[in-house]
Amino acid sequence: MKQQQLPAFRLQLSANEILSGFFAIGLFCLGMGIILLLSAKSIREVEINYTEKCATCAKLREDATNFDKECNCSISFYLPQKMEGNVYLYYKLYGFYQNLYRYILSRSNIQLVGTDVKDVRNCAPFKTSDNGLPIAPCGAIANSMFNDTIVLLYNFNSSTHIRVPMVRTETAWWTDKYVKFQNPTFQNLSSAFAGTAKPPNWPKPVYELDEKDPGNNGFVNDDFIVWMRTAAFPNFKKLYRRLHRIGNFTEGLPAGSYSFIINYNFPVGRFQGQKAVVLSTLTWSGGSSLFLALAYLVTGAVTLLASFSMMAVHLKLKERKTFFLQ
Amino acid sequence: MRKEGKKRRKRKEDKKRVVVSNLLFERWAHKENPNRHYRGNQIKTSKYTVLSFIPKNIFEQLHRFANFYFVGIVVLNFIPVLNAFQPEVSVIPICIILAVTAIKDAWEDLRRYKSDKVINSRECLVYSRKEQSYVQKCWKDVRVGDFIQMHCNEIIPADILLLFSSDPSGVCHLETANLDGETNLKQRRVVKGFSQQEVQFQPEHFHNTIVCEKPNNHLNKFKGYMEHPDQTRTGFGSESLLLRGCTIRNTEVAVGIVIYTGHETKAMLNNSGPRYKRSQIERRMNRDIFSCIGILFLMCLIGAVGHGLWNGTFTEHPPFDVPDAKGNYLPLALGGFYMFLTMIILLQILIPISLYVSIELVKLGQVFFLHNDLDLYDEETDLSIQCRALNITEDLGQIQYIFSDKTGTLTENKMVFRRCTIMGHEYSHQENAKRLETPKELDSDSEEWTQYRCLSFPARRDQGPAAMRGQGGSQPLRRSQSARVPIQGHSRQRSMGRCEISQPSVAFSSSIRNRLAKGPRAREAAAEASASEGRLLTVAESDLMNPWSFYGYEVQEKDVTPDKNLLSKVRDAALWLETLSEGRTPKPSLATASSIADFFLALTICNSVMVSTTTEPRQRVTMPPSTKALGTSLEKIQQLFHRLKLSGLSQSFSSTAPSDMDLGESLGANIPTTDSEERDDGSVCSGGYSTDGGYKSSTWEQGDILGAGPGASLEEVLQAPALSLAGPELCYEAESPDEAALVHAARAYSFTLVSRTPEQVTVRLPQGTCLTFDVLCTLEFDSVRKRMSVVVRHPLTGEIIVYTKGADCVIMDLLEDPGCMTDSDVEKKMRKIRARTQRHLDLYARDGLRTLCIAKKVLSEEDFRRWASFRREAEASLNNRDELLMETAQHLENQLTLLGATGIEDRLQEGVPDTIAALREAGIQLWVLTGDKQETAVNIAYACRLLDQTDTVYSINTENQETCDSILNLALEEVKQCHGPLKPGSKLSGFRLPSATPPATSGAAAPDVGLVIDGKTLNAIFQGKLEEKFLELTRYCRSVLCCRSTPLQKSMLVKLVRDRLRAMTLSIGDGANDVSMIQAADIGIGISGQEGMQAVMSSDFAVSRFRHLKKLLLVHGHWCYSRLARMVVYYFYKNVCYVSLLFWYQFFCGFSGSTMIDYWQLIFFNLFFTSLPPLVFGVLDKDISMETLLALPELYKSGQNSECYNLLTFWISMADAFYQSLVCFFIPYLTYKDSDIDVFTFGTPINTISLATILLHQAMEMKTWTIIHGLVLAGSFLMYFAVSLAYNAICVTCNSPTNPYWVMEGQLSDPTFYLVCFLTPAVALLPRYFFLTLQGTYGKSPILRAQKIDRLPVDKRELEIQSWRSRQRPATIPGEAHPTNHLGSPTSGQSFRSSTPKNLSPAERRYKEDRCQESKFQKSLIHTSASSQEYRRNGHVRVNISSILRVGSALSQRKGHLKITTRFELGATDTSKGGKDQRMIQMSKCQTNQWFLRA
Repeated sequence: MKQQQLPAFRLQLSANEILSGFFAIGLFCLGMGIILLLSAKSIREVEINYTEKCATCAKLREDATNFDKECNCSISFYLPQKMEGNVYLYYKLYGFYQNLYRYILSRSNIQLVGTDVKDVRNCAPFKTSDNGLPIAPCGAIANSMFNDTIVLLYNFNSSTHIRVPMVRTETAWWTDKYVKFQNPTFQNLSSAFAGTAKPPNWPKPVYELDEKDPGNNGFVNDDFIVWMRTAAFPNFKKLYRRLHRIGNFTEGLPAGSYSFIINYNFPVGRFQGQKAVVLSTLTWSGGSSLFLALAYLVTGAVTLLASFSMMAVHLKLKERKTFFLQ
Repeated sequence: MRKEGKKRRKRKEDKKRVVVSNLLFERWAHKENPNRHYRGNQIKTSKYTVLSFIPKNIFEQLHRFANFYFVGIVVLNFIPVLNAFQPEVSVIPICIILAVTAIKDAWEDLRRYKSDKVINSRECLVYSRKEQSYVQKCWKDVRVGDFIQMHCNEIIPADILLLFSSDPSGVCHLETANLDGETNLKQRRVVKGFSQQEVQFQPEHFHNTIVCEKPNNHLNKFKGYMEHPDQTRTGFGSESLLLRGCTIRNTEVAVGIVIYTGHETKAMLNNSGPRYKRSQIERRMNRDIFSCIGILFLMCLIGAVGHGLWNGTFTEHPPFDVPDAKGNYLPLALGGFYMFLTMIILLQILIPISLYVSIELVKLGQVFFLHNDLDLYDEETDLSIQCRALNITEDLGQIQYIFSDKTGTLTENKMVFRRCTIMGHEYSHQENAKRLETPKELDSDSEEWTQYRCLSFPARRDQGPAAMRGQGGSQPLRRSQSARVPIQGHSRQRSMGRCEISQPSVAFSSSIRNRLAKGPRAREAAAEASASEGRLLTVAESDLMNPWSFYGYEVQEKDVTPDKNLLSKVRDAALWLETLSEGRTPKPSLATASSIADFFLALTICNSVMVSTTTEPRQRVTMPPSTKALGTSLEKIQQLFHRLKLSGLSQSFSSTAPSDMDLGESLGANIPTTDSEERDDGSVCSGGYSTDGGYKSSTWEQGDILGAGPGASLEEVLQAPALSLAGPELCYEAESPDEAALVHAARAYSFTLVSRTPEQVTVRLPQGTCLTFDVLCTLEFDSVRKRMSVVVRHPLTGEIIVYTKGADCVIMDLLEDPGCMTDSDVEKKMRKIRARTQRHLDLYARDGLRTLCIAKKVLSEEDFRRWASFRREAEASLNNRDELLMETAQHLENQLTLLGATGIEDRLQEGVPDTIAALREAGIQLWVLTGDKQETAVNIAYACRLLDQTDTVYSINTENQETCDSILNLALEEVKQCHGPLKPGSKLSGFRLPSATPPATSGAAAPDVGLVIDGKTLNAIFQGKLEEKFLELTRYCRSVLCCRSTPLQKSMLVKLVRDRLRAMTLSIGDGANDVSMIQAADIGIGISGQEGMQAVMSSDFAVSRFRHLKKLLLVHGHWCYSRLARMVVYYFYKNVCYVSLLFWYQFFCGFSGSTMIDYWQLIFFNLFFTSLPPLVFGVLDKDISMETLLALPELYKSGQNSECYNLLTFWISMADAFYQSLVCFFIPYLTYKDSDIDVFTFGTPINTISLATILLHQAMEMKTWTIIHGLVLAGSFLMYFAVSLAYNAICVTCNSPTNPYWVMEGQLSDPTFYLVCFLTPAVALLPRYFFLTLQGTYGKSPILRAQKIDRLPVDKRELEIQSWRSRQRPATIPGEAHPTNHLGSPTSGQSFRSSTPKNLSPAERRYKEDRCQESKFQKSLIHTSASSQEYRRNGHVRVNISSILRVGSALSQRKGHLKITTRFELGATDTSKGGKDQRMIQMSKCQTNQWFLRA
């Protein structure tokens, strides 16, 4: 038995071989950056922060005793350019830490997958209601679900307000909707949830989330599923509605005046948070931000700079020929 | 009975063991047996039982700090308030690690258990009273007090006191190879009083009580006495104890009583398992782990404080701030504290959990490759390297100091008799010397050879097929084959193949095999092949011309060519002996003859050499057939016949001697070796012992050489060996090789040791008569007395003679005082002899020979009787037996008469100078610590290029502390003058801009100073607290030689260097006297050679040759170090890089301790996805190829300076880790900021990115890429995807909070994922990549340059290496840049080195150097006289400058170069109070041809 004598390639990082690699990476990054930049530019996005604008409603919600009072708030805005293609409506929260350790833990996947509605093991402290019934859906995440309703109106002219058609399904991941979230198998949804209580913050039980569409009711409600997918950062947006491209909106959202009618339910004052509503289009690379494009550009530039400088040094030294040994 | 039991227990408590025969109690209840308290013979080396395994093993594993830490973390997980994700999951990694270790332990334990079982169930014969005979019993059933019968070649089951031996003289022979590896036979003697048993020993009649020591681990110490029923006592010692594990040899039956059993046997008590040493890297690693813990605490603190602050920003509890189960919120401070603990759990992987396991695995791999390196395999001993310590391989790459033994380590420890002096007359044995030097002239020699053979072969082929295929020819060949070519497929075997092809010449080739073993053997075979075809030798000249390979194997101990001059005198001496035997008074004129006879008798008798035949099983020769015949009339006639014949021979000898010089030489070189091929290497055999009185064989050695005069045909000569081989051969088994050498030397002069029993020694005289000496007493050799003596009764004169052999310094002091002589003539003569012998001894020592003095003393009957009784008393005493024995020895060994002295050569081992040169080039300081004489040591040092003729050598020999102090000061001052102050060891960074200054020749040791110091001076240094000065001086020295040092001093020196200089030390030695030194050093290397196994047993690595050290250190050491160091650094980097990702996330989740990465992924990441590449890297990576490492020993310095892993590299990699983790976190963060990404979907790209980054980082670190590297890297990456995809596809609700379902799949369908995954690793690695590229292109460090060389094609590589070496050389031979610039000002040093003085012709340069050196001399003279004045003022020591200076200046013109050789000696006489005892202090001896000047 000998020492290992496998044919070996010796990796040596030296200017000759590396320069080409550096140039390649630099050029690729630059090119990629330009492409990304262009695609990011093509994205149309409107974000309207309505925390201030709906201050009265916000104040109303500060007081928990007013939970049953409705409060609507209208925000109008002007869309200078039309938004082509699929348009998505998001709600956005600032300062809401959905990624808190104990918050994330406070859910029951077994309950949500529909196998055992009464499984509330991990949901402390929102396991059971005051009368001892298990909460469905249990846990802090479900309890704190975003419950503003947002309606977009297209102000065709000063008097004609067309409600922009929106689809409320297919906003969640397909796998979530069809694998991870399942209603308990009963003929009647309400009977399926019999023996459970609604989360304390919820006005209605879970089987009344979308009474019109049974495929969007209960645990498989898209809004619910989207909320349950906890955001990675304290400032996040979540997909709320998709534009239903019919009629005037076949091409997307035409330019013009719009207004949001917001049924203000979700209090953010308690954590100095803010709420916003976002209208956005997507490109091939997803809703990628400008950052990635810039990062590619900068990286490309730096790499090229480094390779040029290295080449300069290399060429200069090559003349002297002495550097190889000694 | 109970009372008795109590008594016994009481007695058991004091320091004695009492053993009585078990047979007396066999019928009684077991309870009453007084031996029942002693443990049984069952051994249990396994640590665990099935039941105790788990608790015990876990308990043991928790002793490791790391394991304890991780278990602590796991316990933290289970604290409910901390709400760890899934406490159960966190148990997994530590369980896996504990399990892996446990499995390893269990497997090892199982092996131990199995071997125990095998040993325990071995069978032996135990006497049973019931059966009235010996019955088979298992070893484990043997009890103390049992009687055991052992047969030849059986292994001894317990420590047994020998009571009976079938040998009539009551001796039993042991082979202790299992204990200490020594294969020679050792004698054990039946306890006195039992030895003269006519009949079989009757155990039932044994009613004695044995009282002996408690069990202890001294193999060679045992004492006790036996109390007979009549209250008389007989003493016995270790010579009667048969040790467990040894093998009975040469003795048919032996019976003894069991004294110690099982774990109490000496063999078991000596068996201390492998030692645990901590390597330097591990120590440094532990330190860095503490830094990591620091970082961890800082992070956790930031987390805790941050959590508190973040919580404080809310006036009321927000909806996402979840209270505990009861709906309560924790107070801020407590919450912060809990958060601290949670963070510890979260960031625990910062301390690399798998690092410990990985390191162990990597070391196993390294050891595996080390073990399998064929270059470290020694054919001759059939031993490859043994790694006894598994965990310090990387220390081999960081050695700064090597402490080496001389004898057996640098030298072969195969003693060859070289010359002797008898009665002040020196016999130089020039033919012998010439023969020994033959390798150098082998070229011409072999050509002659071939010619001879061309002449002789055809005839021989016709003539002697029987001789060729018979015993004498083919058998030896087979033996040598089997002995020498133990493994197949090795290149060296090819030569054997050729041998076999040339069948007809087989007998012949075997006859010269020993002389030309190995390389030469191949040469010979080739020569034969060509010769048999009638051609001259032309083959394979170049590749076999390595002189060292000839050197080591050519010489056998037994080959002694007698000195012609001495030989003739021996004849006279023999004649003189004859006259003795015939009862006539010797003539006074034959005094010298008697001395010569005495001298050779002493050589033959005064030793402990055993004689046995070579046939298996070994049969000891005790009764030579001719012995009994001595004195019969027939024999006398025969003797007369012999005498006549001999005298005739000696006449013809003297007449033919001058003329047949040439032929005699070439034949003498070859023929006498003919019978040596019969022998194995270890045993030395004497040929010639035939039934006809031994005449033919004992005389043919001298006879046939002579007979092979010009007229004799070569065939006759060649025929001779076949004849002589017909009889049984004698094999000498000596405990030390020099004894064997002496016996063989005597045998060359026909004083043949024929047999030896404890009572008698038979010597065959040149005439063939055998004299049997009664051995009255033998005082064995010991290292304190440094001598051994034998007291014999001369069979002819009846005198009682003491023959003493010992170290010259000891013997010279014990000689009888010439002043006491009545006869002034005799006195004068004795003085003369002494003086001349002393001169010869000095001469021998200068030639590097080992010297032994031979002396004798005639005792009167009365004196001896008195002494003998004294001796018996001493032997029987139990308490201070050793002291008493020593005392008796001193009583006997005095007033000796000097006979002569011998010089024995200890040959340098193969490749020693080469290895030493390479090691020195590698920046390792080599110290030789030897017990030998200064002259011998210095000469060996010159021979192996430890010292160079051009070196300045300081010798310090003094006992006085003040003197020593002043000498050290003086030397230091002078050295500093010559070499300038010590430069701090320059740490070369890998990257050096071309404009930077060229690397300073790293400077602790100026290469041209040597220091020779002796044991007494060392004592003075240690006692006088002069260690600092001594060390300072040694740091200037290129080599240090310590002579006459004791084992303790050796280890003290090693410890001194290790502790004071904080240097990595390595000790290498082969003998028991090196054990303490080997244990003291960071790495101990034992040479498994001639002197037993003690050194090997205590070592960490065992090699068979010194030259293996070169590859072991330069290649394996370097590799192991660089691999492991870089792996450790990488591990730290990896963990920090990964864990800080989690830390950065805390800033975005309110410091709540959440992770964006699924917990399973987190665990898998460390355990599976990134664990294999570092392992492969740690085992297989070769930063520089073996060839380059061997060619450029300088590269070793990187390990010494810890370049791969030091504080700087650690923190650089830490900083890099933080940078990379920042990039890996923030690029995805900024990309996904404000988007609808959820926690774990965000974690997936981060995980992927960091994996890619970490693996690519590893890829950049790897210097060699093999298919394994590639596979492992790609495999790890793919495995990550495979596992993630599978996990995310299967797990819907399994990992509750994380919901990993379809996350990976979702990400893979998102282009942003790919965009991020490409960009981030690129950005993260860009700086490192850029830096490495710059370093790789313009870096100046030797390692980088060597790597560059490695990439060149082979031919170019060699060129480049040569040019490197040639560039290296001028730097070590500094001169001056400008002719006008004398003595090189400090500023000119740099400029000089950068512009190599090509314009200066060598002659000019040398001239300048000489001028410099002259001025140096003057300076040092001034210093010397100044300091001697200081002495005078000092008052403590009066110093006479008796002979101040002898400055001899010799101008010699050689090859047109002007060369000034200056010899400068200064001696000062140190007169102590008495004034009588004058001791020369050789203060400084500058022997210079050249002085190197260093700026």
